[in-house]
Amino acid sequence: MTENLKRLLDFVQSGQNKGQRRELSPERFAQLQEAIVQAGPSLSLRAARRLSLFLAEETTQALPFERIVGRRSLTVFPDIYLPGEREALQSGHYVHEQGRVCNISSDWGAVLREGLWPRRERALQTLRENGQADADFLRAAVETIDAVTAFCDRWADALHQSGQAEAGKGLRLAVRCGAQSFRDALQLFRLLHFCLWASNVYHNTVGRFDQYMLPFLQADLACGLLDEDAAQDLLEEFFLSFNRDSDLYQGMQQGDNGQSLMLGGCDADGACAVNQLTAMCLKASLHLGQIDPKINLRVDKNTPLSLYELGAQLTRQGLGFPQYANDDVVIPGLVRLGYALEDARNFTVAACWEFIIPGVAMDIPNIAAMPLAGVVDGCIRRCLAGCQRFEDLLQDVREAIFQKADELLAPLSPLFLEPAPFQSVLMDGCLERGQDISKGAKYNNYGVHGTGFSQAVDQLLAVKALVFEGDLTPERLLRGMETAFADDAELLYTLRNKAPKLGRDEEALPLADELLGYFADSLRGRTNERGGCFRPGTGSAMYYLWHADELGALADGRLPGEPLAANFSPSLALKDAGPLSVLRAFARPKVLDTINGGPLTLELHDTVFRGEEGLTKVAMLVKGFIDLGGHQLQLNTVNHETLLDAQAHPERHENLIVRVWGWSGRFVLLDKAYQDQIIARTAYGL
Amino acid sequence: MKGLVFHVEEFAVFDGPGLRTAVFLKGCPLRCNWCHNPEGLEMRVQRLKNAERCTHCGACVRACPNPGQPCTACGRCLPACRQGLLSLSGEWMEASELAGRLLRNRALLQGVSFTGGEALLQPDFMLETISLLDGLHCLVETCGHVPSRDFRRVCAALDMVYFDVKLADSQQHRRYTGQGNELILENLAWLKREGPPFVARVPLIPGVNDGADNLEATAALLEGAPRLLRVELLPYNKNAGAKYSLLSLAYRPSFDESRPINADVAPFTRHGLEARVL
Repeated sequence: MTENLKRLLDFVQSGQNKGQRRELSPERFAQLQEAIVQAGPSLSLRAARRLSLFLAEETTQALPFERIVGRRSLTVFPDIYLPGEREALQSGHYVHEQGRVCNISSDWGAVLREGLWPRRERALQTLRENGQADADFLRAAVETIDAVTAFCDRWADALHQSGQAEAGKGLRLAVRCGAQSFRDALQLFRLLHFCLWASNVYHNTVGRFDQYMLPFLQADLACGLLDEDAAQDLLEEFFLSFNRDSDLYQGMQQGDNGQSLMLGGCDADGACAVNQLTAMCLKASLHLGQIDPKINLRVDKNTPLSLYELGAQLTRQGLGFPQYANDDVVIPGLVRLGYALEDARNFTVAACWEFIIPGVAMDIPNIAAMPLAGVVDGCIRRCLAGCQRFEDLLQDVREAIFQKADELLAPLSPLFLEPAPFQSVLMDGCLERGQDISKGAKYNNYGVHGTGFSQAVDQLLAVKALVFEGDLTPERLLRGMETAFADDAELLYTLRNKAPKLGRDEEALPLADELLGYFADSLRGRTNERGGCFRPGTGSAMYYLWHADELGALADGRLPGEPLAANFSPSLALKDAGPLSVLRAFARPKVLDTINGGPLTLELHDTVFRGEEGLTKVAMLVKGFIDLGGHQLQLNTVNHETLLDAQAHPERHENLIVRVWGWSGRFVLLDKAYQDQIIARTAYGL
Repeated sequence: MKGLVFHVEEFAVFDGPGLRTAVFLKGCPLRCNWCHNPEGLEMRVQRLKNAERCTHCGACVRACPNPGQPCTACGRCLPACRQGLLSLSGEWMEASELAGRLLRNRALLQGVSFTGGEALLQPDFMLETISLLDGLHCLVETCGHVPSRDFRRVCAALDMVYFDVKLADSQQHRRYTGQGNELILENLAWLKREGPPFVARVPLIPGVNDGADNLEATAALLEGAPRLLRVELLPYNKNAGAKYSLLSLAYRPSFDESRPINADVAPFTRHGLEARVL
């Protein structure tokens, strides 16, 4: 690591970046709020005015040792609504999360290539030629482009003042007409990404970075402007810049900020697109050891072991990534959902693991969650006593899932999404259509998580084996569940230890596919108000805790208060099963129909990585899972004892990083419930 | 036939090439002072109890059919404990059952390592299991203190052997493991001459066998074996005592655990052997 990089790393780690922030005075805040609203009643125009004022108010001062500039100075900025206005506008609507555009991926390739001026021209052209277009939106788009250009110019001045006049010139040109070099492309990305955050959209993903940045790198290497070492340094400095302001970008917990980056995969024709930059990015993340950007890696059955080994080096570092996605499953799965093949081949991930298409999709991949464990529990409580055969219970489960889907989907329209003119500028086609991205795009599909999957399967397995194939009476089981097995320790023991479980026992596999099938069928053929489909998935997000709170004792012996597994992972009570059994069990062919995203999460003890041999074996393990048809995998390197110690003595483990559900965060900053779940899941397997 | 298995560990990273599962067989002829698998010593099923979290509610005692008598590991107390603190170590399994369980993961599995305890105390069970493993790469990790006939007939069926060499001096060997090393050296001699490829493993116990003399003598013992792949030095694990309380036993090492370990590969290198520290 170069001296410069060390200073930049220290600048972030020691919190000096925060020291340069400021808050607006109450008077200035009120003035700005007034100025935003003066833009008129149109939310688009107000959003544009807000961004414009925000950027003008920002301080632009380059550090003497930084080459990639852009750092937040303002912590809070006024919103676009008058008091009470937001509530009134949202009333009668479905408000997803903050009611803002989020979790999508910009058309970074085209924007970096052509800059903002052609887009400005397009907006004006549509305004002139298309009477149907949303004129306020187009004016707002132009205003954001002008504001962002002016902002970039100010940073260009700052670069000039810090003795980097060439870089300043490059930035001025890049924002207008596209980047001419690798450095300019990185710098432009940095500031555009900054402006996205400033424009109040969030979970701003990075997309397929090694694809759209490669041409800039190749050109510089070819003409001798950069050599590989210099390019690597620059890349690392750029990666580091994601961590400057990330503490301001908090989702459910600190660290949940959606700065996810995708590497590898194939091109539009399906040919392998792994390139020089793929490995450089993996190395950069390895060198820096920072939470952001969060690395994802697309792989398939032809991916060589060497790439997995690079990935395993990163896993060894303990940041909880890379997260692997299998092209052989994801692409056909997306095509089944109606995505064009070339778009499916271009998939990236949203903030966590949901598969989305850059530039052309306004998918909301986490709009609802199907509480699978809860639905099965409800059926067992309601119907078990009346079921003659196990198949009768399954039929009830199927019907209950369909019914739950009705309930989940009913309130989702009409959707309220705040206009996002600047995000629209960075997408493909919004300016031509004269329509804000919040109103929709080529793809407008909604994703539905499936929570508590493994425990849904385990409950059914226990009932099948012990009630329908054994001598356990429904009465005894239900009584036990009602009382949390207070008077029936023997039954509790049997359910937890003797009943079959997914991740260990063969009989679980067909049932797992069956249940995934019900979930897929329950959403198939339904359309949302935008004409999009509903995509079932295997992720849980934070619902693994939320839904767990709603549950009593379950038929698989889970007791009240015990967490559910996160995402597509075995029950935390699973014993006598190791990584091979778990990986094989969760490489389910049926995930092709539940491809919204949601990985199998596997915890590896850090001793596995002792020596190079362990590294190669982890790579072989991941390759094995992908070759078996597993769709998505996320590995954690943890040490159970370290986590316990960190909970007891947070001051000793300030920089301990763990994967939470679709993102990595600093362990000591998480709420205790999340810490506890992570500690519990490290106990199985190794 | 049946064998007594006390653990099956998938993805055993340090016990042979490729993606492997390690099978732990119960029973051991040695009583090494530093043993970290005390539940593997006796060739009988044993009850384990996580005493640390026990609230002494008495439910397990009430469930016991022979209170006050030595435990027969009948398992009747296990379901009585609501906290799940009780378990049995050791399960008599048919070779076909074990092989079936291993082969379920055939798609990901490249090898099986038999360990323990001392796996070679159950030679017929091992041979039958190996014969059912569909040609998978098989190896044993052994202390070498088993009847030569058993040692040879099982090793002949294996692809590789991990052979422990603890102490070159027989007296010292007896002092720390309860047995002299004559039988071990006899088996080692055969292994060097006629056995499959093997790895020699030396657990480095501070002040017991990590002295220059013993390492030199060990290196000399291992010389002249064309099929010796390498020597692996395994520094003493300070968590060795972790599982003794499960058996209501105390871990009492007769050496100073905190003493620095002399993990020196030089004596082996001098004898032309490839050696590494794990």
